[in-house]
Amino acid sequence: MTSTSGRGWRGRARDDPSLSEILYVLQRRRLLVVGVVLVLAGIALLFGIFREPVYTAEAKVSVRPQEELDGEEAMLAFLEEVRGAVVTQEMLSEVRRRAGWEAEPKAFSERLDPRTVANTDGGPGLQIRFLGNEPGQAALAANAYAELFVEGVEDLRDRPLADGVPVAEAVVEQRAVPGDYSPRPLIYAAIAAGTGLLIGGAAALILEGRASGWRGVRDVELTLRVQVLGTIPDYSSKKTEG
Amino acid sequence: MRLGATSDAGARGLLDPDSPVRRHYEELAGNLLRMGGTGSVVVTSPEPGTGRTSICLGLGAALAGMGRRAAVVDCNLENSQLHRMLGEPNFVGLTSGLDDSKPLEHFGYEVIPGLLVVPTGPILLDPVSLLEDEGIPKAVRGLQKSRDLVLLDAPVAARVLRSPNLLGGFDGVLLVVHASRTLKSVARETTDDLLEAGANLLGVVLNGCS
Repeated sequence: MTSTSGRGWRGRARDDPSLSEILYVLQRRRLLVVGVVLVLAGIALLFGIFREPVYTAEAKVSVRPQEELDGEEAMLAFLEEVRGAVVTQEMLSEVRRRAGWEAEPKAFSERLDPRTVANTDGGPGLQIRFLGNEPGQAALAANAYAELFVEGVEDLRDRPLADGVPVAEAVVEQRAVPGDYSPRPLIYAAIAAGTGLLIGGAAALILEGRASGWRGVRDVELTLRVQVLGTIPDYSSKKTEG
Repeated sequence: MRLGATSDAGARGLLDPDSPVRRHYEELAGNLLRMGGTGSVVVTSPEPGTGRTSICLGLGAALAGMGRRAAVVDCNLENSQLHRMLGEPNFVGLTSGLDDSKPLEHFGYEVIPGLLVVPTGPILLDPVSLLEDEGIPKAVRGLQKSRDLVLLDAPVAARVLRSPNLLGGFDGVLLVVHASRTLKSVARETTDDLLEAGANLLGVVLNGCS
């Protein structure tokens, strides 16, 4: 029971639940919180273990114009124009063939992610990322795209593009190697556990607010933030209540 | 002792010095006395049925048992319970003492030595306007001259909040919360409302705990 030395109760700011109140509620409703955490973490773990593995492979190509380009905007515009001229359905079909892709072309396109980037020397470049079910397949597809892109640029050489800047050369800067295994069941489980803690904690706070059972002095003091001056046990014979 | 023939066994238990709950009331009384400056205390609760009247009687009996002179005044004019609990009539009481003719002490009776009980008395006017009568704080102050502690068995907190007399006319407010009936959200809201309204909330009594 709280000290009764003071006159009345003028508590601290009462709008938000205090940390001790939250911890007390979580401790009281620990079965709920732990249950939600375990269920979500378990689902995430199973999802991570049993889902089809995905491997990431990445290749890089640099493209150099024959003339100096002013600024990043001009560089990106140049690269987009090169991509538009080189990447065709025929090229993509050849990439799929070289990668040994037998499934739907649409599924291949969904796994292919070429991005326009700035290379280490500041020049324009292309980053090709492919997600494959096997590490070798992923690398094969990324490298096939990079090689065919370079070949396509070779064909463009000395032909000015729409904006008048001809391409000097394109080289594969970095070949893809069999990449990392993407699904990380433990990371998924940890994220799910954190989410479960938030959901379980929120549910515990909501349930606690709607509960009518008080479990003693500490419960009252933490919930109401008012000192408890006395507790009177259940006195079953009393019938008339005010 | 003037406990009537229809007196409730619960009231007897509350007044009995050998009752198993007596020591809990004595602890409550001790805490209240240690606060100091609490000559008149309004006892309210977030909702009906929390045992305010029992708390008032038990606390008053404990104070009397400790050698203090206490009084319980029924201010629950809309739903008076005190006289019913004691099995006594309600012919005279608080409302009888509002006209200044006689001190409030005259309209009550001692149920045990040292504990005066003042029922509501007849309620001929609107109970809400009666609660706002300046005579109530004045009559209670008069009673405090002969009593160490006056407990006002008040209506629920929503009514207390609408009554400047009950909210600020006395030394403090004691909130009764029932361990199994009072919703936490309701108790929290009531506590916040009382504090926001400027009540001197002395503390909480947890009634009916296991």
